[in-house]
Amino acid sequence: MSGANSGTGGRTERLLEVRELTVGFPTRDGIVRGVDRLTLNVGSHERLGVVGESGSGKSVMGLAILGMVLPPGRIMGGSVRWRGEDVLDPAVAGRVRGREIAMIFQDPMVSLNPLKTVGSQLRELLRRRVGLQGPAIRRRSLELLDMVGIANPGDRLKSYAYELSGGMRQRVMIATALACEPTLVIADEPTTGLDVTIQDQILTLLHDLSAELGMSVLMIAHDLGVVAQFCDRVQVMYAGRIVERAPINEMFADPQHPYSLGLLHSVPRVDRHGGELTGIPGEPLDRARFPPGCAFEPRCSEARDLCRDAPPPLLKIAAMRSVACYNRHGETRA
Amino acid sequence: MLRWLAKRIIAAALVVFVVTSLVFVVTHVFTDPATVSLPLEATEEHRAQRRAALGIDRPLGVQYWDFVSGLVVGDLGESYWQNQPASKLVLERLPATLKLVAGATAVTLLLAAPMGMLAAWWERRFADHAVLGFSMAAISAPPFWIGYLLIIVFAVQLGWVPTFGSRGFVSLILPSFAIGLASAGRLAQMTRRGIVEELRKPYAVTALSRGFSRSYTIMHHTFRNVASGFVTMTGWEVTRMFTGYTVVIEFVFAWPGVGRLAVQAIEGRDLILVQAAVLVLATLVVLTNLLVDIARRLIDPRVELA
Repeated sequence: MSGANSGTGGRTERLLEVRELTVGFPTRDGIVRGVDRLTLNVGSHERLGVVGESGSGKSVMGLAILGMVLPPGRIMGGSVRWRGEDVLDPAVAGRVRGREIAMIFQDPMVSLNPLKTVGSQLRELLRRRVGLQGPAIRRRSLELLDMVGIANPGDRLKSYAYELSGGMRQRVMIATALACEPTLVIADEPTTGLDVTIQDQILTLLHDLSAELGMSVLMIAHDLGVVAQFCDRVQVMYAGRIVERAPINEMFADPQHPYSLGLLHSVPRVDRHGGELTGIPGEPLDRARFPPGCAFEPRCSEARDLCRDAPPPLLKIAAMRSVACYNRHGETRA
Repeated sequence: MLRWLAKRIIAAALVVFVVTSLVFVVTHVFTDPATVSLPLEATEEHRAQRRAALGIDRPLGVQYWDFVSGLVVGDLGESYWQNQPASKLVLERLPATLKLVAGATAVTLLLAAPMGMLAAWWERRFADHAVLGFSMAAISAPPFWIGYLLIIVFAVQLGWVPTFGSRGFVSLILPSFAIGLASAGRLAQMTRRGIVEELRKPYAVTALSRGFSRSYTIMHHTFRNVASGFVTMTGWEVTRMFTGYTVVIEFVFAWPGVGRLAVQAIEGRDLILVQAAVLVLATLVVLTNLLVDIARRLIDPRVELA
C-alpha cells in the first residue's frame, strides 16, 4: 500500500489491516449485514476518511475494528489486524483498545460518564491504562486538557460533563482519547450535533493534534466536506460495503461510482457558482430486503441487468483507485 | 445542601404528624375503644365507666389536643392491656425490630448487588439464568413459608441455629434471610437489568473502547449509574420490611419486636398500643425515605435540591 499522498511523506508503516470484516444483526427477516466484507488499511501518519449516509454501517464498522459489537450483533467473519496481531482475539483487544487505537464518539453529550468528574475520568485512564502514579497523574491530566485547548484546566478537572458545553465535552473526549498516546484515532462523526463554528474548531484541533503527535486518523463522516478538509484518502461506504476508494483530491475531481457522484452533488460548494444541489434519488436501503446484486442498483440511473445479478467486486481501476461498479470496470480495461 | 436537608426533615416530621393524626381519627372516631376492649357481655354501665377512665367521654377536640400535646412530650397514652405507658412497651420492642430489619437489609444488599452484577457480567449465560431462577423462586415464595422452610432445614434438621427467640447474633440469621431473600431477588433483577441497559449506553461503550474490562466497567462506571435506582429500591424494600415482613416474620420466629407487639395489641383490642406501634413504624418508614433522599443526593450531583 502506498499510503499517505500528502502531509508527512516518506515511508509509511502498515498499522491497521481489516480484511473481509462482516458484522451481522439477527432480525425477523434473517441476518442483516451491518458491515459486509469490509476491507481497509490505515498506515502510519495517514488520515483516512470513510463516508456514507446514516445507516450505511459506518459506526458499526468503527466499533467492530476494536472487536466490539453491541449485542445481538456479532462479527461473522473476516479479520482485523493491528501491526500483524489479531484484534478479534480478546487478549490482544485488551492491549490495543485505548492504548493503540482510541475512539472518539459522535455524541459527546452522552459519551462521557455523567457521574464522574473530568478529572476522575482522566485519572482512571492514566492510572489503569498508562500506569502513572501520584502527582504525575494530575500533571499529565492538566497537560492533556491544555493540549485540547481547554482554558483553566485546573478548574475543569472538577467539572462534571453536564456542566460543560458541547464543544468542551468533545475536547474532553479527545483528551481522554489522547491519554494513552494512541497511534490511531478512530473519530466517529466527531462534529455531529455541534455548532458549525465549533465543528470547525474541533476538526482543526484533531488535524493539528494528529500532525503534532504523528497519529493516524480514521475519520467516519456522512459529509464529504468534513473529510475533504481533513483526510488524505477517502472510502465511500454504501449499505455496509465499500463502493469506492480514492485519494481525496481525485474523489472530488473525478468520482467514479454513481453513489459517490451523488454524495458529491449533495455537498454545497462555495468555490463554484451555479450548479444545483441534486442529492441522491430514492431512499436509503431497507437493510432487511437486501437485493442480491449491487445494493445501490434500485437508486442508480445507470443500472443494467448485470447489476441485479451479483454485487460488483471492488476492483482497482487506477493507481490507488478502486470502484465497485460494473459500468466503471470496463472503461479502464478498454 | 443544609437548607435542602432542613426542608426534608420538616417535611418528614409533617408526614409523621399527618399519619398519626389519621391513626387517631381511625381509633377514636370509627371505633369505640371502650367497647372493643371490654368483653361482649359487658353492660352499658361498664362501658361508661371505661370511657370515663380512658378519658374518651370528653369532646373529640379536647382528646385530640391531649393526644397531640402528649406526642410532643413522648406520651402516647396508657396501654389498657398491659396497664403500662404504650411508648415504653413499644420502645422496649424497638431494638429487636431494628436488629431484624438491619439483618434483613444486610442480607438483601450482600446478595442483590453481587448477584445483579454477576448476571449482567455473564448476560444470557449460565450465571445469568441461575440468578434469574433463584430470584424468581425467592420472589414467588411467601416470606413466612421461607421462614418455616429455613427453620425446618437449618434449625430442626441440622440444628445449626435456634428455632425461635432472639438469643444473640446466631438467632438473627434465619429471620434475616426469611425477609431478605425476596427483597434480594427483586433488587438483583433490577440491578441486572439496569447494568445491562447502562452497558449499551455511549459512555459505557466509550469506557470499553478505552480498554477497560467488562468487570471494571460494570463496577466503576455502570453500577454507579444504577446506584440511584438501587438505593431507591432498597428504601422501598426496607419500608416493606417495617410495615409488613417484620410483622409476619416476628410472628413465625417468635421475635420480640414491634411487629409482633402490634399483632398482639390488635388481638387484645388495645387501640392505644396499636396507635403507638403504628406511630413508631410510620416514623421509621419516613426516616428510611429521608435517608434514601440523602443517599441519592450524594450519589448523583444532578439530583434536584427541591
